[in-house]
Amino acid sequence: MPRSKSASNARRKEQKLFKRAKGFWGKHKNVKKVAKEAVNHALDCSFHDRRTRTREFRTLWIARINAACRLNDISYSVFMHGLKKAGIELNRKALADIAVRDPQGFTGVVDMARKHVA
Amino acid sequence: MKTFQPKTSDFTRDWVLVDARDIPLGRLASQVAARLRGKHKPTFTPNMDCGDFVVVVNADQIKLTGRKHDDKMHYWHTGYTGGIKSVTYGQLLENKPEKMLMLAVKRMLPRNKLRKIFLRKLKVYAGAEHPHTAQQPKTIKLVK
Repeated sequence: MPRSKSASNARRKEQKLFKRAKGFWGKHKNVKKVAKEAVNHALDCSFHDRRTRTREFRTLWIARINAACRLNDISYSVFMHGLKKAGIELNRKALADIAVRDPQGFTGVVDMARKHVA
Repeated sequence: MKTFQPKTSDFTRDWVLVDARDIPLGRLASQVAARLRGKHKPTFTPNMDCGDFVVVVNADQIKLTGRKHDDKMHYWHTGYTGGIKSVTYGQLLENKPEKMLMLAVKRMLPRNKLRKIFLRKLKVYAGAEHPHTAQQPKTIKLVK
C-alpha cells in the first residue's frame, strides 16, 4: 500500500478555509491562524442568525399588521382574538402581505374578525 | 412568498400638524416618535425612514403631570470642572419648550443612525404659528 502523507490533505483543508474567509478584513482573509478563528466565528454567527431570522420577521409582520389594524380602528390583539374565534387560520406572514398589497382585502378580514368579538 | 421589501419611492411622506395644548409630555412624545418612524403604516420597515413630517404647535402649553414641574431635572455638562448644570422641567417648559419636546422624542427613538434623520422631520414651535403652511400639514389628534 502506498504511503500517504499529509501535505495534500492539509492543502485541501487550507483551500477550504481560505475560500470561506474571502472578503474578510485585513489578515482575516490570508493568515491561516487568524482566518481559522474568523471563519469559526462567522459560521457561529450565521447559525445563530438563521435561528433569529424567523423571530425578527415575525416581529416585523406583527408591527405591520398592527399598523393596518389601527387604520381599521381595531387593535392587533383584539383582531387576532377575533380571527381565532372566527376560525381563520391565516398566519402572520400572510396577513402582513395582505395588509401591504391588498388593503381592501385586509379590511374584509378585519370585518370577519370583528363579528366574533363583542 | 417573500415579505414585502419597500423601496424609498414606495413611501409617501405626509405632513401632519399636532396641537400640543394640554397634552402630557410623554404621551405626546411617544405618539410623535411612532409617527416619525412610520409605525402607523402597513409598509413599516425598521431599517428605512418611512415616517411622516410632524409639526407640533403650542409646545409651550404641554402638560407636566404630578410634581414634574418642580422635581424633574434636566442636566447637562459643559466640559469644565464642576460644569454640571441643571434646570427644572418647569423652567425648561418656560424658556425652551421646543427643546423639551425634542429631547423627549429623541430619547424615545431607537439609538441608531436613523435617529438623526427621524428628528430632522420633527418641527416644534412654542406658539400657534408655524412656517410650514406651504406643505399643507393635515391636522390630526395623536393623543386621545
